[in-house]
Amino acid sequence: MTEPLSKIPSGLRYYWGQEASLRRAIEEAAMSVFDGWSYEEITTPTIDYYSLFERGMGAAEAERAFRFTDADGRLLAMRPDVTSGIARAAATLFAKRNRPLRLCYAAPVFRLKGLSHAEWRRESAQIGCELVGQNSPAADMEVLAIATEALGRLSLDRDYVITLNDVEVFNGVAESLGFDSDSRDQLRQLVDGRNSADLEQFLTSCASREECRAFSQLVRLSGKHETLDQARRVITNARSRAALDRLESLWEIIESLDVSDRFEIDLADVSRLDYYTGLTFKIYVEGAGAGVGSGGRYDNLIANFGKAEPAVGFMLDLDALAGLLLSRNEGGTVTAQPERQAHNVMDNDEIALFREAIERRTQGERVAINFSQVMP
Amino acid sequence: MTQLTIAIAKGRLQKELLELLANVGLCDPREALSSRRLAIEDESGCFRFIFVKPMDVPVYVEHGIADCGVVGRDVLLESGADLLQPLALGIGRCRIVVAALVEMPGNGHGMLRVATKYPHIAARHFGARGQPVEVIELSGSVELAPVLGLADCIVDLVETGRTLRDNGLRIIEVIAESTGRLVVNRASYQLKAKAVETLTAVLDAK
Repeated sequence: MTEPLSKIPSGLRYYWGQEASLRRAIEEAAMSVFDGWSYEEITTPTIDYYSLFERGMGAAEAERAFRFTDADGRLLAMRPDVTSGIARAAATLFAKRNRPLRLCYAAPVFRLKGLSHAEWRRESAQIGCELVGQNSPAADMEVLAIATEALGRLSLDRDYVITLNDVEVFNGVAESLGFDSDSRDQLRQLVDGRNSADLEQFLTSCASREECRAFSQLVRLSGKHETLDQARRVITNARSRAALDRLESLWEIIESLDVSDRFEIDLADVSRLDYYTGLTFKIYVEGAGAGVGSGGRYDNLIANFGKAEPAVGFMLDLDALAGLLLSRNEGGTVTAQPERQAHNVMDNDEIALFREAIERRTQGERVAINFSQVMP
Repeated sequence: MTQLTIAIAKGRLQKELLELLANVGLCDPREALSSRRLAIEDESGCFRFIFVKPMDVPVYVEHGIADCGVVGRDVLLESGADLLQPLALGIGRCRIVVAALVEMPGNGHGMLRVATKYPHIAARHFGARGQPVEVIELSGSVELAPVLGLADCIVDLVETGRTLRDNGLRIIEVIAESTGRLVVNRASYQLKAKAVETLTAVLDAK
């Protein structure tokens, strides 16, 4: 028996009506915020060499891409992220441009397999920006300020949380334990899952009781500024300490700007992506069961494409945001275009029909041609 | 006041958990057990409990329909759900084991046929040692499979081991220990941090 044509492959869907219009409105709102901070729009190829993403995202992430071969046998992939493509452009196309380089995008990404059971989509749209050529708390703050403004523009300013972490806090501790990459990854999963019970068991075989305790505490460290002090009490290695100092500098800026009630430090939020080298953050909004955005600093990524330079960026998940705003059914500043009444244009003479329709369109009216009186 | 929705696995864990909740004053177990309602609230209105099949707990929590859940580690290992697991509750203690009629199941070469309700755990366990297996997924009375010759061995949850013994099976190896776990949705963990902390602290103090 053949599959009926009506069937849609899993994880893919149509968008129409109010939802389609809302998605466009969200995209435009976010892109206008990026434009307001002097970010230039860039579109990366939808299909690119698999090796680009493998170098960019790391093999574990890139393997989730739809892959197929080019005419010459080289492996291609449907873009599973946008940042890899932008990193290559920064190192090549824009190598001679002045820094900092500010780029933004709105584009669908494709994954053969979703991240979790709840994230079933295989095509999802990302809106994001990248700031290339700067490594400072100020640069980190710039993208956080943009994220904050974008959420405000979407009328979500009352109920979101941005969690901050620096991957080097974890890397420092893992290094001090002398872990190989397998154990390190296992450790990361346990920390990321806040799984203190299994973590303690995992550590007893390879660390002193003191280190065990220190690390189990790391799992629970989240909150405001005091989190950094608590962390310093249990984490002594220099690499982690430097990361905690960086987080502190950023937190001081956040506090001075009076926005600290929207931010949390969460040292157990250990990101999946291997390319982050410093700050990482995740955006959670009331009503969405998963994060609606994430970002961070990736100072080693661009070096893969020839030229080493620091960069920081973030992306918002358009599908998560649209789903959220639709379920809230809230006005706010971003709404789908209201359905405008269309003028019914009808005539038995085709010429007159189109004269009228075109005239009304030049006046900006909405028209709907009614063919009922037109001769067949 | 933020209300937390907590999905609770029906069956094995449920009774012990409701006793635990009653001890800390969170929920009256008699009401929960006597009525057939699938959702009840505690007196303060801070917590809403929903009762679902164990395998559905990670589904409700991962989607954020429930903020938290209580479920056995066996279910979490099987589902591979992306959830936070801040607390082991020390209830519903049991083991996931390989059991068979004889000490060396299979004919020593070729495929091993494994009957189980846990196809992912079984595939991962035998896959890690390069043993080719045919996983036969069943939904209950797994102990029957080796007895009737459907499988060479089983991967199943064992509490006392009585059902195994009664069917002439013996434990060959223990894959993992399992206890009840508190699981939390990633977004709820951040957005309802206070309420989740309260729940964790109350359950941890038991």
